Amino acid sequence: MNLFRAAHLRGRRLAIGAGALLLAGCASVDFEESVRQTNQDAAGFTQGRLALAGTPAQREVMAREADALLAQPLGQDEAVRLALLNSPALQALLANNWSEAATAAQGARIANPVFTFERMRSPDEVEFGRMLAFGLLDLITLPHRYGVARRQIAQAQLRLTTEVVDQVTRIRQTWVNAVAAQQKQSYAEQVYEAADAGAELAQRLQAVGNITRLQRARHQAFYADAATQLAGARHAALAAREALVRQLGLTDAQAARLQLPGQLPPLPAAPRTAGQVAQATTEQRLDVRQARLGFDAAAKAQGLTAVTSLTDIELGVRRDQTFDKAEGHTERARGYEIEVRLPLFDWGGMQRDSMNARTLAAANALEATLRAAGSELRESYSAYRTGYDIARHYRDEVLPLSKAISEENTLRYNGMLIGVFELLADSREQIGAVVNAINAQQQFWLADAALQAAVLGKPTAVAVGLAAAPGAAEAGH
Amino acid sequence: MTSRRTFLQALGISGGAVAAAGVGKAALAALPEPVIQTKPDTMAPLLPQTGRPYNPVVTLNGWTLPWRMNNGVKEFHLVAEPVVREMAPGFTAHLWGYNGQSPGPTIEVVEGDRVRIFVTNRLPEHTSIHWHGQRLPNGMDGVAGLNQPAIPSGKTYVYEFVARRPGTFMYHPHADEMVQMAMGMMGFWVTHPKGRHPLIDEVDRDFCFLLNAYDIDPGSYTPKIMTMLDFNLWSWNSRIFPGIDSLNVRLNDKVRIRIGNLTMTNHPIHLHGHEFLVTGTDGGPTPKGTRWYEVTTDVAVGQMRQIEFRADEEGDWAFHCHKSHHTMNAMGHDVPTLIGVDHRGIAKKISKLVPDYMVMGERGMADMTEMDMPIPDNTVPMMTGDGPFGSVEMGGMFSVVKVRRDQKPGDYSNPGWFKHPPGTMAREFDGAVQTPHRQSGAGGGQSMPRARQDASDVEVHVRKPTHKAGH
Repeated sequence: MNLFRAAHLRGRRLAIGAGALLLAGCASVDFEESVRQTNQDAAGFTQGRLALAGTPAQREVMAREADALLAQPLGQDEAVRLALLNSPALQALLANNWSEAATAAQGARIANPVFTFERMRSPDEVEFGRMLAFGLLDLITLPHRYGVARRQIAQAQLRLTTEVVDQVTRIRQTWVNAVAAQQKQSYAEQVYEAADAGAELAQRLQAVGNITRLQRARHQAFYADAATQLAGARHAALAAREALVRQLGLTDAQAARLQLPGQLPPLPAAPRTAGQVAQATTEQRLDVRQARLGFDAAAKAQGLTAVTSLTDIELGVRRDQTFDKAEGHTERARGYEIEVRLPLFDWGGMQRDSMNARTLAAANALEATLRAAGSELRESYSAYRTGYDIARHYRDEVLPLSKAISEENTLRYNGMLIGVFELLADSREQIGAVVNAINAQQQFWLADAALQAAVLGKPTAVAVGLAAAPGAAEAGH
Repeated sequence: MTSRRTFLQALGISGGAVAAAGVGKAALAALPEPVIQTKPDTMAPLLPQTGRPYNPVVTLNGWTLPWRMNNGVKEFHLVAEPVVREMAPGFTAHLWGYNGQSPGPTIEVVEGDRVRIFVTNRLPEHTSIHWHGQRLPNGMDGVAGLNQPAIPSGKTYVYEFVARRPGTFMYHPHADEMVQMAMGMMGFWVTHPKGRHPLIDEVDRDFCFLLNAYDIDPGSYTPKIMTMLDFNLWSWNSRIFPGIDSLNVRLNDKVRIRIGNLTMTNHPIHLHGHEFLVTGTDGGPTPKGTRWYEVTTDVAVGQMRQIEFRADEEGDWAFHCHKSHHTMNAMGHDVPTLIGVDHRGIAKKISKLVPDYMVMGERGMADMTEMDMPIPDNTVPMMTGDGPFGSVEMGGMFSVVKVRRDQKPGDYSNPGWFKHPPGTMAREFDGAVQTPHRQSGAGGGQSMPRARQDASDVEVHVRKPTHKAGH
């Protein structure tokens, strides 16, 4: 407002224009600041490493870091780091967001003055008409539009954070799935080996006449089934790995070098308590902040629309010259022109209704977000806590039991109380328990990733645009 | 009771004989104090200090119940109760029995004795005792519901009758009989003849034991009482080899062994090195003209057999049930036969999954005794028992009759392993062995030639005994 007033007082037309340009320049967007803000807001997600690679030099640095990461088995955090460095989709996301922010900033600029030049010629006269016209309303509403743009830019920044949180959550979950699938594949291989050993043994037993063809066929059927299971597990592992490759945006060469750790990380010693999770204040949640900005922007825009919907005013400065051949003199005329659109047919009621409705919608959306936030958090925490308890139950109860069963069965085999086929069948069963334990651990880590996002306030429905081309515009300074 | 304690001490059984605690003295004032046995060892014979004299028996891994004389009546006190029986070193079973052990103590009386037996029930359910094979009043026969009400938990009943007929008998419950017998409730009863009996010889050593069977899962303690036939432990007096004591005798002793069968199948009992006569059954002594020499006698379910022989061959003579599975301890019945199956490659694969896996059975089951591998707790290996030349590879119903020149009369202690006189033991032949000539030909020989030849004969590879393969 102050700036506006100062500019107004200058009186001189060009000065007004210069002042306006200055103002418009200040409403431009600092994308690096925006990324910095995201790095700060979602520190746990970006590890402060979110960056848009604009130049080949930057890209090269990032590629080198990516290579270093790919040289070792990729942990969960490393996967996130790698995606931040390497994923074109994430870069696209950043660039898109930049474009969005720039578009928002554009709204706070004054339209360029229009210069009109006329040359009219009659048999006796030549008339030159020059007019420099400004949209007066543009100028009047500038502070207003500046405020709107600022909010829109802030919104875009928040949206960026949200989308990054969403992406990172997906990367984490995809990583969990890939590691778990790989782990399950190795157990499917063990089951297969057990069945294979059994089938082979049965074949040899039949060959020397110790068992019947029927018995052999039964043992072989286990083997046949295990082979199918293994094929399925192998594909599942590959599919999960490829999903990760896509999330990380790896090239074929990089994908070939991707190594995953042999197993999921162990469960944390203690789960996060509900109290710790609830500490995230509602006001700081991304979804709440975004809804609030949406509401503010709508409210601000409403005020603006109250004026713009009614009318449009254009101010023009004229300087005309007429050359009279007959009389041989030149006439000069100066003046100004104001163009006002008359609100005869459209009094802007519909537009104002629309804005009213939009503001109302934004207000309610904010309220809805506030109300849903706690509920979503409780649900996410329940999923997390249940996942933890089940995984811990598997770790502390089921797996030790299954180990004890294996050991006892080996003792029984030693005592010739059970045969080798029972021993093998049991080992298959115990492996089944291990696979269930991996599933439980996988569920926990998926819920953990989801909870981290929920604590920060990732809205449930986040559309992530991946395919948009990066904007060509340079930063507006 | 001090005097009786002294008396028990003299018999060498007071170490294990303790007065039962927990039963009020006043309540039992009229009863003989119950004597409880805490050890499963074979106790020295109980020489009669009161009543008619007789030549006592020795109960294999058991003992004889002391009595008191009360106005000419022999009074015994049996306490039916849960017991812990060591069935072999390292393997104990939670059974039901009498006076601290299963089977209960042997009751020895003399023909014509008036006997009064107090039976205290310390089981969680009612019980009764049937005096198997005795002549007695119908109301003393012990069939709960038929002859008497069952003895409720915590109550004491008294049975009283005259031991009319000399012979070998048993006692066991006849209330919830299936469960209580599966849990080990049984005992031996010997009625000695009063004076000389034309059909009952005097013997130098008189052993007795009951055949019984249990189904106790390896690693557990309590028998499965619902098992009908598929028992996994075959025992003599609830002991399994190597937990069964040897029968130690002096050279040229006349030996009597009394065997009662309370399992659910018959047992052909076989003695090495001697022939014996069956001199008695549950019906009493057999007429002399019906006796013939045997080395194996079948003891059918619910029967008694009394065998006698002159131990005139020195040595350690195996004595066992001839059903070979009955000379094994707990074993799996669905274990596939692996004889002749080549394990190359597979063993490695399996041990990847089961790290402690070792190949067994490829050359037969003797591997079992050669490998010292851990087995479930509270279990005795299926084949076990080390003799002077290695594992005896036996279990269950197996023992040894030890005949020794220098065994003192009345000495029942184990003389150790027999020392074979030079040149009296099998040895390795070190001459040349010719390849035996083998007959080849069609299945049924000339009289019944095989009509159809199988498309592919099973090829049997016999792996000749060589040096132990390095598994």
